[in-house]
Amino acid sequence: MKLHQLASILTLTSLCAGALAAPAAVKPPVMLAAPPPSAAAPRAAGAVPAAAATADNAPLPPPSSAAQQLYSSAKNDILQVRSLLKSGRTQSSVGSGFLIGTSNLVITNYHVVSQFALEPETYVGEWVDTSGQRGNVELLAVDVLHDLAVVRVSRNGTGFFKLPEPLAKLTQGQYLYSLGNPLDLGFAISEGAYNGVITRSFYEQLMFTGPINAGMSGGPSVTVNGAVAGVNVSKRLDGELVSFLVPARYAQALLNSVAQQLKPPKDFNAVVAAQLLTHQGAMVDSLLATPLSLKAMGPYRVPVRDSEQMRCWGRSSATPDQPFTVDDTDCAMETAIFVSGELQTGQIAIRHQYMRSTGLDSLRFSQQASASFKNEDFGNDKSTHLTGPRCTEQFIDNKKLPLRAVLCVRAYRKFAGLYDFALLTASTDDGKMSLQSRLDAHGVSYDNGLRLSRAFLTSLARGAQP
Amino acid sequence: MKPPYFIETLARNGDVLHRHAVAALPIRLGRGYDNDFVLDDAHTAASHAVIEVDDAGLLVLRDLGSRNGIVHKGRRHSALTLDGDTVVRLGHTRLRVRGADFPVAPELADTTMHGWEGTAPALLGLLLIALFTTAEYWISHVQPVQAVPYLLMIASGLAGGMVWASAWALANRLFGGHARLGRHLFILGGGMLAVGAWRALSEVAAYAWSAEWLTRYGNLVSIALVAGMIFFHLWTVKPHHPRRFAAASLILMLAGCGLSLMSNLQNSGRAADELYMSVLLPPAVRHSPNHSVDDFLGKAAKLKAGADSARSKSPKGDDGDDDGN
Repeated sequence: MKLHQLASILTLTSLCAGALAAPAAVKPPVMLAAPPPSAAAPRAAGAVPAAAATADNAPLPPPSSAAQQLYSSAKNDILQVRSLLKSGRTQSSVGSGFLIGTSNLVITNYHVVSQFALEPETYVGEWVDTSGQRGNVELLAVDVLHDLAVVRVSRNGTGFFKLPEPLAKLTQGQYLYSLGNPLDLGFAISEGAYNGVITRSFYEQLMFTGPINAGMSGGPSVTVNGAVAGVNVSKRLDGELVSFLVPARYAQALLNSVAQQLKPPKDFNAVVAAQLLTHQGAMVDSLLATPLSLKAMGPYRVPVRDSEQMRCWGRSSATPDQPFTVDDTDCAMETAIFVSGELQTGQIAIRHQYMRSTGLDSLRFSQQASASFKNEDFGNDKSTHLTGPRCTEQFIDNKKLPLRAVLCVRAYRKFAGLYDFALLTASTDDGKMSLQSRLDAHGVSYDNGLRLSRAFLTSLARGAQP
Repeated sequence: MKPPYFIETLARNGDVLHRHAVAALPIRLGRGYDNDFVLDDAHTAASHAVIEVDDAGLLVLRDLGSRNGIVHKGRRHSALTLDGDTVVRLGHTRLRVRGADFPVAPELADTTMHGWEGTAPALLGLLLIALFTTAEYWISHVQPVQAVPYLLMIASGLAGGMVWASAWALANRLFGGHARLGRHLFILGGGMLAVGAWRALSEVAAYAWSAEWLTRYGNLVSIALVAGMIFFHLWTVKPHHPRRFAAASLILMLAGCGLSLMSNLQNSGRAADELYMSVLLPPAVRHSPNHSVDDFLGKAAKLKAGADSARSKSPKGDDGDDDGN
């Protein structure tokens, strides 16, 4: 990537800065690997088309001399990592990566390599460097939970990117420089500030207030000295310049594990399954470490968990022409573990809906409650990732509230021991009100699914707090 | 066979279209006006055939050198012995000859309620249709009762019912001689009442006794009820073929049920209409006992084996082997 070209892009994007659309409601961060959106525009890629659209308009600070120096010394060690279809070698997604020290090891994101990690019979990886050289990549290790991967390439680094022990200390507001190949347009550097550790997602991430675009995933974010601070991973579509980095220490840990392994695992599906099992164990343990907190909805008490990782949102609807009211409470983890483009897992969500008649007779109210109870999706048997739902249903009584309960289980086809649990309940104690609750546990072991279901079922209650 | 002889022109289904008495033999048949029985059929000869008595005293139909001949059971005959049930085809005309001594079938018992025709069943049928549409509208709309939407609903329900019943009345007029619109309206009203009552009762019973199969497969009974309604329509059109119509309705019902089950299997991989029972009713309806949480989770634990075994099966619509090769 030539500097004058970079400069022209920067000018272009700053010109468009005024035309930013209003941000949408709160959305989880998007991954930044870039699959080409269409054959018509193969060079302008975006992981999510909206990502490309908003990102193009993002205001940029003018390039500083530090960035120019940094780019010229780093450019030999940054690579584009592409995922190619084996038949025809056409690219199906692109990301970035960087060579560590003078070795032939490259750090990138797991989501950049996920296609050839999980489906090596269909996809193959390729690297391209700033001088246009290219070659095949060999996948050595993945860390699905932190979204990192280590691959081996057929050339060595010049020693620019270092992961020193101990790692460089970061202070809030410090400038970081993010490198990569945004939207497959060419290699680029962008400037931004480090803004602390984010604990909203299950695993720590660094907040970087600088532009990161689709395609820069897996690229490094470095201090002005070239010390790696983190790996570009995602950004928020509803904010401006709110991007996230994976802390460098996780990359260091993964490199250490690569140093210890004799040869790379043959089947990365098993590796991913093992990591997801570890994740769900920790996730369910921390969720159930203390009893679920109870929240009042009408005369009922419903279990929720409001924590750093899990956020609850409430909504109430009462329209004058409708003789019943509906209150909703939605609690969900804002982030999930990315496994592949179609599968994100390792997440728990809780939903409660409280309907109450305000003048509607109990017969017609029961029709409305039934319609709401019916309007639930448990998936079908056409998914290539999960089996069809298998359900059991009963009238139950947990000593505090009689319920109609439906529990559906789906097994992961490729990851043994992991299941999706969906538990749906409706209160059966009152003809003029209905509490309907749903617990979704994605990617948990069978025992943990049952544990969560039990905790949820036994917490639902009617009456004041004892 | 004794004179006079009756030559009957038949429709394909055996109905007599026309009957002509001839006092004595021989009887000459043909298109020409010098025949005893004139055939209005361009595919017959001017002098086509003659009916005579043979040496054994039996009636014989003999070809008089026509081009298209005499056809009986698909084969051409130059002469053919006739009994009262022999049907021959001359050109496009199907004929049968019977003597005055032909023994007829015994008189059928009349099961038709002749008093239950006309205005009375029509009004009751319309009332039932109006009741059904009103009940359906009321149960699914939460807004307070207002005259205009309900009247609009009733009017469109009655109009739809009239269209359905009129189609049957037209068929009845064509094939049975009378329109019998009132009867058909009553049958439609009765069918709607039966379907509505079944849906309501099956939901209540399913919720009361935790009989989930009633909501899973209850629609099959509704299909059977509609097939039954069609049977009554057909029976009204032709009151003397109940067996034939019962068989046709049964086939219709089996085809409807089969299609419903197959489309469920195709769309969701299960034969039932629903994955789980979604009916919720007031607690006063409940009659089955509640189970404990342990009981429920014990049943949930048993789902594991099924889910695990389904992992190895490839998803629907994908014929490929799923063993990782």
